[in-house]
Amino acid sequence: MKLSAHYTRTSIYITLTVLLAGAVIYYFAINYIAQQQLDQGLQQQLIEAEEYVRSSNLNPQQYDLDRDHAVFTRTNEQKLQKRFFDTTYFNPKEQRKEAGRAVEDLVELKDTNYKVVITISRAGQKYLIEVITIITLVLLAGLLLVLFIINKYMLNGLWKPFQLTLKEIKQFNIADVDQFKGKPSKVDEFAELNEAIREMSLRVTYDYLNLKQFTENASHEMMTPLAVVTTKLDTLIQDETLSAGQLEQITDIYSSINKSSRLNQSLLLLAKLENKLITDNESINLETVLPEKMLQFQELMQTKDLSFEHNLQPKQVLASKYLIDILLNNLFSNAIRHNNSGGVIIIELNGEQLSIKNTGANHSLNEDLIFERFQKGKESQGTGLGLTLVKNICQHYGYDIHYTYDSGQHTFILKF
Amino acid sequence: MKILVIEDEQSLRENITNYLNVDGNICESCSALNPALQKLSDYDYDCVLLDIGLPDGEGFGVLQYLRSNQKNEGVLIISARNSLEDKLKGLDVGADDYLTKPFHLAELKARLMAVYRRKALNTNNKLIFNEIAIDVQGRTVEVNETAIVLTRKEYDMLLYFIANKGKVISKNAIAEHLWGDEMDMHDNFDFIYTHVKNLRRKLLDAGGKDYLTSIYGIGYKFVG
Repeated sequence: MKLSAHYTRTSIYITLTVLLAGAVIYYFAINYIAQQQLDQGLQQQLIEAEEYVRSSNLNPQQYDLDRDHAVFTRTNEQKLQKRFFDTTYFNPKEQRKEAGRAVEDLVELKDTNYKVVITISRAGQKYLIEVITIITLVLLAGLLLVLFIINKYMLNGLWKPFQLTLKEIKQFNIADVDQFKGKPSKVDEFAELNEAIREMSLRVTYDYLNLKQFTENASHEMMTPLAVVTTKLDTLIQDETLSAGQLEQITDIYSSINKSSRLNQSLLLLAKLENKLITDNESINLETVLPEKMLQFQELMQTKDLSFEHNLQPKQVLASKYLIDILLNNLFSNAIRHNNSGGVIIIELNGEQLSIKNTGANHSLNEDLIFERFQKGKESQGTGLGLTLVKNICQHYGYDIHYTYDSGQHTFILKF
Repeated sequence: MKILVIEDEQSLRENITNYLNVDGNICESCSALNPALQKLSDYDYDCVLLDIGLPDGEGFGVLQYLRSNQKNEGVLIISARNSLEDKLKGLDVGADDYLTKPFHLAELKARLMAVYRRKALNTNNKLIFNEIAIDVQGRTVEVNETAIVLTRKEYDMLLYFIANKGKVISKNAIAEHLWGDEMDMHDNFDFIYTHVKNLRRKLLDAGGKDYLTSIYGIGYKFVG
């Protein structure tokens, strides 16, 4: 949910609660004030009734005025606490009962006590309260509506600089020369945010360039001595006086050098991958790349008497050609290297996944460990980085890779 | 062929010049950018071997110099940097090929010959070696004027051997040349033997001489 929606919701909840509580208090306050008003009126009536009783000197009679009436009852009680109370009022004009308010008191006339009850209608007051309630509710609804509209349409405008900043961050590419600029904003918070992001982008770009330079320098420093050794050996083997035994040793040295230079390249590549330094994406059709790979590995397959089975459907991926090459090289050489003589490799490609299945050892490999660095079988001649590279390349492109084993069949499934 | 080697690592420079200085090739060398530019302005070369990371500047300067002075030297970059960016930059600025360190001298020679052929022998694409005639553009081979059919690997191998004739070439170097150094072929070199055997048989069948000698324990030699 968007922040503005959160804000709208919270502010509406709070407003609603405050207004409702206010309305309840308001209602009771008005009710109370109106009642005081009525009671004052009744008190006035009572005084007038007493005046009337005393001045007439007659037995007091019941009388009705416009909206109130008084009833006098002879009583033997000597004392009666004056009290105001709610009751019903019979409106003689409209011939129906209405809510009423009454006062009760004693009036003394010629040693006789009369209980007087004066009742007046509360209809007018009720009507007033109803009107006030309706006006209050309408105001409340109006206020909520206005609040909602303001939050939804006007506060969104306030977030505009934020949206622009966000858009720029999303488009920010570390390898680009252009650095983060940010739109100037009058809002302090956004200006500060832009400033912080600008500083961060500078730092990140600096780190990126530093790392890039480091990997290049490391590559240079490690590869140059290996190049010297290789070319020295190339010169050395021209010597015709060397024995076959010595030459065989040189072959071993060649192999070791080759292995360490590939190891070097793999480590540098891993460092680059982990720091997302590879950005040369292009559209690659795996349906055409896979048969080329099969052709490339043909001789290796023949020496182990392996056969390919494949079922390929078109699948375009947006990736670095170089990385896809390494990915497939590693999966293929893995499937060949760990295969039985006379075995098969089954390759299936569809829109969702690529699976490479090979026959091999009769036991499952540990899925948690095979993608780890330098985890390899004792008999393996590889660098122990092949599947780590595969995993990292998959992570780089958001693919999911996992390994399964089923009765002598080892399968690597890559989900796009 | 006249070659200029620009490389700051002394032993590498010596190995390269020693390897290339045969068959009437003249191989000169220098170890930094500025002397290289001096040499290039004073003399003409057929090919330049260029290291990118030089002590007094980027080797790309040589390429810029050659281009702005309309010089026609073929340039092969040798670099320890294997980032694609560098490769593309090098090729964009006008290099003809890019070889990453470490490399085999045989590979270097073969690539250099290819660059030279493309540059200097533009009008005549025939590569003649005794009775073997190779049309490098059409990728066809004739022995004693009879066409022979070679597979792609056999053809590449033949060119590779001829470029390095008289040199012992290790099986590692052949494997890397034919399958690329990113492919790990080293647990098994049997398939090299198969290709060599087939190539030799095809040349002999067409009446060619047997130039291929097996050097036990290490590799092969194409005896010129």
